[in-house]
Amino acid sequence: MTEQQASEQQQANPATVLLVDDDDDILSLLSVWLDKAGYDVQTATSGREALKQFDLLRPQLVITDLFMDDLDGMALLTRVHQANPLLPVIMLSGKAQIPDAIKATHLGSAAFLTKPVQRQELLDQASRALNRAADPYIDAAFSQGLIYKSSQMAELVEHAKLVADSDITVFIQGETGTGKEVLARAIHDASPRREQPFIPINCGAFPEQLLESELFGHEKGAFTGANSRHEGLFLAANGGTLFLDEVGDMPLQLQVKLLRVLQDFQVRPVGSTRNYPVDVRVISATHRNLAQAVKAGEFREDLYYRLNVVPLKIPSLAERREDISVLIDHLLQAHQRRYPNRTRRYFAPEALDYLATAPWPGNVRQLINMIEQCCTLSRTEAIPLSLVQRALQDDPASRIQTLKEAKDTFERNYLLSVMRICTGNVANAARIAGRNRTEFYKLLGQHDIDPAQFRDRNNDD
Amino acid sequence: MSQTIRVSVDPDLEALIPGFLQNRHTDVVKLQDALAAGDLATVQSIGHMLKGVGGGYGFVRITELGAGLEAAARDNDRDAMDRQISELAQYLAQVEVIYEE
Repeated sequence: MTEQQASEQQQANPATVLLVDDDDDILSLLSVWLDKAGYDVQTATSGREALKQFDLLRPQLVITDLFMDDLDGMALLTRVHQANPLLPVIMLSGKAQIPDAIKATHLGSAAFLTKPVQRQELLDQASRALNRAADPYIDAAFSQGLIYKSSQMAELVEHAKLVADSDITVFIQGETGTGKEVLARAIHDASPRREQPFIPINCGAFPEQLLESELFGHEKGAFTGANSRHEGLFLAANGGTLFLDEVGDMPLQLQVKLLRVLQDFQVRPVGSTRNYPVDVRVISATHRNLAQAVKAGEFREDLYYRLNVVPLKIPSLAERREDISVLIDHLLQAHQRRYPNRTRRYFAPEALDYLATAPWPGNVRQLINMIEQCCTLSRTEAIPLSLVQRALQDDPASRIQTLKEAKDTFERNYLLSVMRICTGNVANAARIAGRNRTEFYKLLGQHDIDPAQFRDRNNDD
Repeated sequence: MSQTIRVSVDPDLEALIPGFLQNRHTDVVKLQDALAAGDLATVQSIGHMLKGVGGGYGFVRITELGAGLEAAARDNDRDAMDRQISELAQYLAQVEVIYEE
């Protein structure tokens, strides 16, 4: 888009900018600049006034001074993001203090500008904040790792693109095998940190003491067996992104230490008396319901809110079945590229039908493993249904379930068979199951089972 | 003493300039009062504000004097504060604004 086109588009549909500063001269100056650039500018002379106007104006961008008497820029940013976590906020400050700048970017500000602000700098940052998703790096990062055509995934990727460009703390929730690390890496690759390290660690895979020294490092002799100094992953990821997978499994002791690092941006290795400054973006993920873990006292509430600034939920494969066919095409092609000398494989039509309706408890990872196995084992070009069924039954992801998953699977199959026997008559099905009708409807709803599916077609016609 | 200092200012800001300069004259009075009362915190805060606002309007000298005042107040350097407040008053008396791109 040329500058003129951008300016014409801006005039046709101006973005509302809420400008907040307790200095009238600054407010007037920036208003003129933004107004001339075609924005619809609204002003507030205090953080409280800005909050009052915020709901009425629904601005697309907030530009605020950091130091204000009643409610400062950092508090305003937090409050604004409670209402809309993706709204870009540009912070202005008279003092160029690095800890403030780091804190602001971690809280999700789109930019941090030092006064006196230059006209071009302000306008560049404003248009950048409003047009983030148009960045070619961002599009490239997301098109590489994530394959989908479903609207649920499109919405998720849209949100992820918006957060990629800032340092905002992202929390990814998704079942095992849904691609939480893939999404985290795409966010990193789309961020200004892309040239710096992306370091993933599975917090559930280490005993407490080892995890502590993995994350924060240790000095030589800090504990028995610490024969040399270890810098730890926070310092190793400095300038880049640290991905804390299965953060819900982190022991409470370490949660305190993690919280402190996220608040102070400083790390103290085990056995050290020194703090080291770190500039790390944290993306965390879990398959658990952390809100419940907080209620049960297994996860610190303060840490939960610190990590959960922008929550992104990845749908399970069963929730986005329309993506199964595009994923299969993509994975078959990838297999072909890796083994160009093998005969090209495809799935027999009845095998494809089976795949489209399979339960997929292991999600995309299970699909990937299944395709690898079928491509390797199939004796014919067309992979038969029997091979697919065997691959899915032999898959450890579907064999070793959690107790809850096993109960859910049983309950779903039970409901399906009762509904089949009763040809969709809920009153009869409820009687057989020994539940009242309301309860039974609720169960059907929980498992997304539609009674109409089981009714005799001829009767309906 | 009476020679003028010409400053080019963006024509977009023309309507704001009289009010802006009036506020700076008020700042000079506030600065003189604060210094006389030994209220260095106010001197520092006005200096900080001048630093942030001057350059944006095109008055780079005001930003420089503001930064100087902020530092002098922090260092409790009365001579430097006195000198820079006078310099600001003189600058405001001599400045002539030309509106041009």
